[in-house]
Amino acid sequence: MLVLSPWFRPPAALLCALPAMALAQAPTQASAQDGDLADRLYHSGERAYASKAYKEATDTWEQLLQTSPRSEFAPLVLLRLARHQVEVEHKPEAAKPYLDRLRSEYIKAPEAADGLLLHGQLLAQEARRPADLKDAMAEFNRVLDLFPDASACAEARLELARAWRDQGQWGRALQQAIDAFRLHSGSAVAPRAMFEAAEILDQMGDLPGCLRMLQRVRSEAPQSPEAQEAAWRMAVRVKHRLQKPPFRNEGPWPAGRTKWLKTPTLLSLAPDGDLLVFQNDLDRAFRLHAAEAGPLGPPAPGTRALLASPKGALWMLTKNGLVREDAAAVQPLGGLGAISGAALDRWGSLWVADAKTPALTVFAADGGSRTVASPTLNALAPLPSGGLAVAADADRKLLFLDAEGQPRIVVPYGKDLPAPFRTVTALAADGAGQVAALVDGGDFGEGVVIFGPDGALLRQATFKALGISGRITSLALDRSGGLILCDRRNDLLIRLN
Amino acid sequence: MRFRHFLSIFLLCAALWGQDAALKETFLQAKALWATQGDREGATARFDSVVAALAPKAAGLEPEWIQVLCESYNWLAVLDDRSAQNKARAQVRLQALIDLNPDFDLDRALTSQRLAAQFDRMKGEKFALVKLSYAPEGGRLTVDGRATPALPRKYLPFGNHKLVYARPGHAPAEVTLDFAPKDAKPVDFKLTRTSSTVTLYTQPSDVEVFVDGKSLGYAIGKAGPEAAPLAVPLGLRPEDLSAPFIIPELAPGKHRLELRAGCYRTKVLELGAELATPAADHTLEPIRMEPSRGLLSVSSAWPGGELFLSGRSQGMLPLTNLQVCSGPYDVMVRFPGGGFSQRITVEDGKSLRLEARPKPRLAFLGLEGGDFTGRARFQALLESLGDRLQQLAFLPAHAGEPAAEALVRLKASRDAELVLLARPVPDKVIHRVELLVATLDGEEERLVVKPLEQDPLEALAARLNAVPTLHRPGLGLSALDIPGEPGPWVLAATEPALKAGLAVGRPILQVQERSVSTVEQLQQAEGSAKGALSLVQEGATSTLPLQSEALEIPLGATNLSYPALLAHLRLLSAGAKGDEANLIKLNLALGLMQFRKYDKAIELLRDARLSTVRGVSQGTIDYHMGLCFLHLGSAYQSEAGQAFRQSLKYPQSTLLGPDGPLVAPLAKQALEDLK
Repeated sequence: MLVLSPWFRPPAALLCALPAMALAQAPTQASAQDGDLADRLYHSGERAYASKAYKEATDTWEQLLQTSPRSEFAPLVLLRLARHQVEVEHKPEAAKPYLDRLRSEYIKAPEAADGLLLHGQLLAQEARRPADLKDAMAEFNRVLDLFPDASACAEARLELARAWRDQGQWGRALQQAIDAFRLHSGSAVAPRAMFEAAEILDQMGDLPGCLRMLQRVRSEAPQSPEAQEAAWRMAVRVKHRLQKPPFRNEGPWPAGRTKWLKTPTLLSLAPDGDLLVFQNDLDRAFRLHAAEAGPLGPPAPGTRALLASPKGALWMLTKNGLVREDAAAVQPLGGLGAISGAALDRWGSLWVADAKTPALTVFAADGGSRTVASPTLNALAPLPSGGLAVAADADRKLLFLDAEGQPRIVVPYGKDLPAPFRTVTALAADGAGQVAALVDGGDFGEGVVIFGPDGALLRQATFKALGISGRITSLALDRSGGLILCDRRNDLLIRLN
Repeated sequence: MRFRHFLSIFLLCAALWGQDAALKETFLQAKALWATQGDREGATARFDSVVAALAPKAAGLEPEWIQVLCESYNWLAVLDDRSAQNKARAQVRLQALIDLNPDFDLDRALTSQRLAAQFDRMKGEKFALVKLSYAPEGGRLTVDGRATPALPRKYLPFGNHKLVYARPGHAPAEVTLDFAPKDAKPVDFKLTRTSSTVTLYTQPSDVEVFVDGKSLGYAIGKAGPEAAPLAVPLGLRPEDLSAPFIIPELAPGKHRLELRAGCYRTKVLELGAELATPAADHTLEPIRMEPSRGLLSVSSAWPGGELFLSGRSQGMLPLTNLQVCSGPYDVMVRFPGGGFSQRITVEDGKSLRLEARPKPRLAFLGLEGGDFTGRARFQALLESLGDRLQQLAFLPAHAGEPAAEALVRLKASRDAELVLLARPVPDKVIHRVELLVATLDGEEERLVVKPLEQDPLEALAARLNAVPTLHRPGLGLSALDIPGEPGPWVLAATEPALKAGLAVGRPILQVQERSVSTVEQLQQAEGSAKGALSLVQEGATSTLPLQSEALEIPLGATNLSYPALLAHLRLLSAGAKGDEANLIKLNLALGLMQFRKYDKAIELLRDARLSTVRGVSQGTIDYHMGLCFLHLGSAYQSEAGQAFRQSLKYPQSTLLGPDGPLVAPLAKQALEDLK
């Protein structure tokens, strides 16, 4: 056994103690160094990101997560990486691991509120039916419960309002939408929340409340996109539902132009309010902007229904299938050969009516399809409630369906009119609750009828009374409270005001 | 506290004055005892008591008392010299005398020749004599840089000494001499005149003297008897004048003499060129300052206000025609809750009236430690924040008082409603400062600013100045901006508006004979009018009375300071009655809900009753009470349900304002959720 001499013991004791001393100091120094490194890595990534060197930025931030996971920058980096995946890469799935980690490891960090919100928004986007919104709503509620003072609360409340709206829970939707602007005055969310509240109020049958709320949007955020949207919605609601002036034929539109189209057969409105026209002799659709028609999308001979997706892409339903402006291939429509109308719901599903099929066929975004029991339908138009307005000539009824395809309002043909009509050639909706029907037959004859969101008759006129003698095949409600008719015989459009 | 302080100073001064008088009396008694009664012991005892009192503080004594002490030593030396017992002590007395003032000469009529010779011998062992003459006299002599009386004979310690003689208007003269034992050197100072001097006296004293805009100092003190020829012709005593103030170097040409004193009119005189040239000494006639005063009246509709002018209490309001010296003042009126502050300038001979409305007081607690670049500038900005606040009375921090102590003081005294504390945010390099605004009840909010930005307090000042209104004028109608309509389109109207002839479903074309095209223009007309407005709709005219419509405060607004808002509402609440008071309570409750103080909000809402049933009204109060109960948890579900049911009795009640969302559908849903 080695025994150290007494002279040697103090230095030896000191040497023994050194590692312990070093260890005691090490965490502090290492922590400070980590902090410095994390700081530098974060800002380096930020610089790269600002110059759109995304690869360099994300690599740098990933390195930060590896080397300094306890740094104050780690939750911020996770949030930024998630946002990058969503906003730049358009890969929401790739964002989720970052958001999961943010929630599980950094729930106390202030960035967790935004992370929960984003996660909820991704889940809401993925939802394909009301029940799918459950997890998204849980995330929004977590934001409110865990971070009541966070700025993300305003957006979370608005998202909850939309989720309740999409489930048809109008009262709860209204509560959340009102709280989203009442509890967050002046926030960026406020105009959107007010707008949402206005639309919900309309769904609840409170037209004055809806109009006051839209006016509030215009007064408090006059420069916002919602204020622009509110302006035309107020105009059409007041004109169709309150003023209800008799229709007046303004003649060929726009600007009195005649014989300028090649057999126009279908009309539809794009999300921005532009009119879409399908010209049968040209086999393609055109966008009418500033009185000029420009070709839109690929040729689609025999198009029977025309619609625009929420992002503005043109969809045309033909005998051969669905021709999409934003997709290369034609998608088959299960052999539906007599398509009489189509609409996209807010879950991304395409509802198709066929004049020879006694059911509605629903094509889901993931490619699957199902049928919903229905009489044979002659026309179809989407409703802002998420449901549909459909016309069944066989039953001589106009039906207002809910988002599940179940009838909520039934309006017999000719109700409240001086005389009944027999058929509905086309239906159109304006997005603000009004539904226009192009009708024919019976004692009423050929003409137009406008219904409110509750099925009430708002305005009507016969073509005879208006002096219209062409062959009208389609119609559209414009954003000024007017009605555009498509006259295939005379190759022109007519506007009723 | 302040009274006790003044009392203690007064007593101390009185004691000192009494002590001086007694000492002088003792000194005179001592002289008399020996000179008239031959009481040597009695005299010695009294002189000893004088020496005992003065000697320990000899270095700081006034010349008058130095003289008393010197004479006492002289007398004691003579008395001791005549006593066989104390003879030896005489030398000690003389030595003390020489050490105290070598220039003092013994009273040779009193002192024996032997003792005088001994005195001269002792002095000659340490000091040399210098005989001085001064031309002109009246100047200032310094020896080795220290001022000393300009006497004809002076005794200086052996060695090298520098003597300087100076007089205003003359070039100073200096001489350096080396003294050895038994030296006796003469020095003749003859000064050369360089410029004129002007001597002035002011009445009163403590007057700042400016020549050509430059301050030369203050005319202070009291004039001596030499000023009698100047004072008496003016009906004044010499001591009514200040001590002479000499303007030392009057350059050739005219000069502007300006005299300033608080509470007196500034006096401006021209000093003619003849005063400067030829160079000579001039004495001006005493300058009498004329009082300068104005009248200040302060009143308030709120009771219990006490007026303070620059920190000094002037009494309780109302105060009418209070005579105050002209000049700037910081006016502060302290109310039982809140305060009013304003910086004013009272002008000579003019009246100023103020109406004091209590404002919440914001006490600045200070900028906490932590050094950072720009700290001094940031501190200065914080200290001058009060100049930027229109809705709050700003109370500066007490110098040297730590923030925690200041907070304790304010909580105890309730001398403020709000506090502001600035804290640097710890970092390697501090570049953020957290500004905390809080009520004394603990409602607080924080704002982080960058001290180096152009105006780091801009956002804070804007938030503190923003006070939302609780009312807006309205005509009892809802109007919309409908594209294509020529004016605000009437959606709905109250019964009185309909009876007055207003038509629903038509646009308003003119208001007060001016065309309007938007709702905003209509609201502007409502805001600027009083009484009633005449409206034109497609040829039909109606006149609608303007009504005050209740509003809720905006919540979660980033441009508002909610602690400040609560403080405002609490002050308003103190002076309000009826529906006004209840509307304030509703809004106070909303403010408390912002801080999640739902229990406190319920207390307020429970007491609030609004007589109105449309717009922000009783149903609004009930709905918010229901929300507060919901936030308190399941224990209060039944109370929440009761409040929501109550709110349904007012189907026209709204949130936010008269055009806000109806309460009823929200309450219905809340009841549904409670099932």
